Amino acid sequence: MKEEWDVIVIGGGHAGIEAALAARRTGCSVVLISANTRRIGEMSCNPAIGGIAKGTIVREIDALDGSMARSADATRLHFRMLNRRKGPAVWGPRVQSDAAEYARAQQLCIGNNRIEILEDEVTALEGSTAKVAGVRCRKNGSIKGKTVVIAAGTFLKGRLFRGDEHWKGGRIGDISADSLEKDLVKRMFHVERFKTGTPSRIVRNTVKIEELEVQESEKTNFTFSYGKSPIPENEEVCYVTYTNRRTMDIAKENLHRSPLLAGRIEGTGPRYCPSFEDKVVKFPERLSHKIYVEPMGYRSRHFYLNGLSSSLPREAQEKMARSLPGFERAEISDYGYAVEYSYLHFAEMDATLRLRRTDNVFAAGQICGTSGYEEAAGLGLIAGANAGRFAKNLEPLRLSRMDAYIGVMIDDIVSKGADEPYRMFSSRAENRLHLRQDNADRRLYRTGNRFGILSEVKKKLLAGNIEEADTIRKILETETVNGIQMSKWCRRPGISIGSVIKEANSLVDKDEGVLTSVLLDEKYSGYIERNLRRSESKKNLEKISLRDIPSYMKIDEICWEAREVLERERPETLARAEKIPGIRPTDLQGLLIYLGRKRSTWNNSSGGEAQ
Amino acid sequence: MDSISPEIICAVATPEGTSALSVIRVSGKGSFQLIEKIMSLKKNRLRGMRRKVGRIFEGGRTVDEVVAVSWPEGKSFTAEEMVEIICHGIPGSVRAIIEILIKEGARRAEPGEFARRAFGNGRLSAVQIIALAALWDTEKDRSVFTGETEKNCRKLMREIEKAREMIEGNIEFGETHLNEEDESIQNVFTELMTSAKDFREEAASIEKSSRVMIMGPINSGKSTLFNVLTGKSGALVSDEPGTTRDGSSCFLEVRGRRIQLCDTAGNDGIGLDRTASEAVINGLHGTDRIIWMSEGGRTAPTEKIREKAGEIIEIAAKSDLKNKPETEQILNVSSVSGEGIEELREIISRVPGSMSLSCAAKRIEESVKESYNFISLKEYDLAAELLSEAEIEARRIIGRGENIQLSVERALAGMCVGK
Repeated sequence: MKEEWDVIVIGGGHAGIEAALAARRTGCSVVLISANTRRIGEMSCNPAIGGIAKGTIVREIDALDGSMARSADATRLHFRMLNRRKGPAVWGPRVQSDAAEYARAQQLCIGNNRIEILEDEVTALEGSTAKVAGVRCRKNGSIKGKTVVIAAGTFLKGRLFRGDEHWKGGRIGDISADSLEKDLVKRMFHVERFKTGTPSRIVRNTVKIEELEVQESEKTNFTFSYGKSPIPENEEVCYVTYTNRRTMDIAKENLHRSPLLAGRIEGTGPRYCPSFEDKVVKFPERLSHKIYVEPMGYRSRHFYLNGLSSSLPREAQEKMARSLPGFERAEISDYGYAVEYSYLHFAEMDATLRLRRTDNVFAAGQICGTSGYEEAAGLGLIAGANAGRFAKNLEPLRLSRMDAYIGVMIDDIVSKGADEPYRMFSSRAENRLHLRQDNADRRLYRTGNRFGILSEVKKKLLAGNIEEADTIRKILETETVNGIQMSKWCRRPGISIGSVIKEANSLVDKDEGVLTSVLLDEKYSGYIERNLRRSESKKNLEKISLRDIPSYMKIDEICWEAREVLERERPETLARAEKIPGIRPTDLQGLLIYLGRKRSTWNNSSGGEAQ
Repeated sequence: MDSISPEIICAVATPEGTSALSVIRVSGKGSFQLIEKIMSLKKNRLRGMRRKVGRIFEGGRTVDEVVAVSWPEGKSFTAEEMVEIICHGIPGSVRAIIEILIKEGARRAEPGEFARRAFGNGRLSAVQIIALAALWDTEKDRSVFTGETEKNCRKLMREIEKAREMIEGNIEFGETHLNEEDESIQNVFTELMTSAKDFREEAASIEKSSRVMIMGPINSGKSTLFNVLTGKSGALVSDEPGTTRDGSSCFLEVRGRRIQLCDTAGNDGIGLDRTASEAVINGLHGTDRIIWMSEGGRTAPTEKIREKAGEIIEIAAKSDLKNKPETEQILNVSSVSGEGIEELREIISRVPGSMSLSCAAKRIEESVKESYNFISLKEYDLAAELLSEAEIEARRIIGRGENIQLSVERALAGMCVGK
């Protein structure tokens, strides 16, 4: 064991893994501490990676050389490009992986990169809060580190619930990190409670699959990872079934035994991933809900019931499952449950994912208030890279909202927080037409390269793509199709990219992925440019600081409602003030006038210089 | 797309209405290029601090002959690249130029945005800002619209939001959890397109007729009031009933707003004046503002006038002579003593009219149409983008800023999805 590590990562989930790997790529020594190292990289809930917006995050992770994309590709059993008929900017690649193989692939990645793995429970941070010296472990005692990344997932004071049963744990079969939570609270970190849950798993051969709708995997050579990775031969199909009146009635009859509705869980659950009993309460008029039946692995013994998450008692879960067509004799192998856990209030983190009150502690994953594997991994990558760069005394990495979904996500969670676990949606990105799954490589190459988190192989591959794109762009500028400049041709409404490729002989030898992506850039260029300009003009407002305003209540230039709102919110800059609901453009001008007046009095009294 | 600078903004810098000249300001990096694109410049290009004469073209047709004055970055009011277009002060051509600018990538400036940029770029000193403060009266800013127009804009905005919620919901969850949609999106759009068209028409009509007409029974003192308000004795004034035969009109500035004030022949719907008064009534557009005056406020406007006119400002004339009216809604005015004149000026200055409003409304309508077009092409991503453009424009009109992410949250709130 080392005397002092550059980076200590607490937790071996999707966030912890990317954090450790990213820190390692910055050239740091890294130790990953997990209470149960055999479960590192486990898919604790559904066996799938990607989706709308989430799939784009996975590609961004790959562009920054993370491992999620590669492991998902290597273990995929089923693939679908969601929204294929709704416009290329909102395509969402989604794979189902073999859950066990996926975890193994991720563990292999950790091992291959010479990251030390330590099986222990972290019970506290060491040293002062302002500058943490390392962590304290239950078995190994004190471990020194220059920086710490906390990626504890749902384990901070994790509590599991199912009907009347409840017990400690961050996940079924695991411990709960109560001591670490206590230490954070003692250090005056503001924590709050969220809840999430998982559905039951069904024994495969007890289901009459011949009665279910089949959903085949798409035949495609798409991979999350840029460049050519081998596609596994093993495939599985998924099934679709629907809940009915009886499923609903069973849930209703047992509502009083739901830990959430009975008030035993206080945390807020994800609105976009509700338990079935939530759906019954919130959407009583919907008699039928779609349920996806997904195999947990290749020829796995277990099915995952996507859409039937529940923390009702065992017998209710069993009845509900058996009410589904084809599931009359189904046996449950693992029952669903809910988990309630502590997470850090948004004001604790800054845009580099550093905890504001410390110099050297970073946070990633569900403890930042997010939900989902992809979100966790994206945060992990940034937190890990920044921990590594801090240990090396280098400037931190920040992603802008305009450049990446990961940037949008971090900006959202550190500036406004969420009143429920934060899930990524494409509509959260104002520059969505630019943040596509096809161009993450070109969007992020320069950032990845500049901040030193790309391996040589990746660097070469991405630089190659950029060069290819430049060549293609030149052809589009100079050549014509039917007398129209090719780049203009792409921008016409209703023109499919495929038809452009067909018309252009000089493009036949180009890399298909890059070619499509560049053509899409052209297609959307007018809109993208407008969005960028809009965001740029906001930057001017960001330069105007409101920090020195003692009280808004006496500023006559703005209306009363605005004074109250501003007094409560205390925005740091004029740009932040503009974002606050209820603040009108006239109020912003009023603030300017006030600032101008104040400046002039300063000048008169001190003879100082106006800015 | 590496070095993107702030948006180019444009706005009419002179008061509305007809005048010899109007000035349109354009600011932001790339303004020179933009103007060069829409203008045929005699001799070379805009560069440095120059004046250039040229024509503005659209589709091969001359819109106006103008003078473009250019300021390079660092030397202008906003410290950005800036052009002032001096054009003829005809509302139609000013509007056309603004529309061309917007079509080519500029956007309508928010009230005070030029000054804000100047301040942000360190160009405007504190003293100047205070001087400008007078123009930025917090209360008056929104009064350029009637309550009705603002209400309609809000309604339109809600419809845009609703359509956008639907599309966003369909994008995020359509594939995995919902099986409906296409048809209901059609329905929402049909409604939305009608509203956008109505709003555009409303906006246009407001601007055409920021005209205020003085009407009322014969010999109620309309011409006297007209003279007091215009400050001259242009209209024929006499105590003998029926001496004002032809409508007389005058442009005047009331509290910084340009208003066309019209005097009309006395109107009681009878006798000699019948033909003249019918002509006036039939010439009213729905949004013309009427000052209805009668002695002591005792005669109410006829049904026909109420029907044809929009809002009516009722005043009780000759308040120095007669008994005061009982109702409080009627303003007491005496052209002799000056009672109520200031209040009346205030009311007149709030009559709607804003050159940029109809541009904005037109843009909303176009974005909505284009969005619908993309729905039929199954390009939901672009459809949503255009709706958000429309939403931003509508939010600017009612002064709500650009915080449009809220509608996304709402879109997602009603969804039933999940594990």
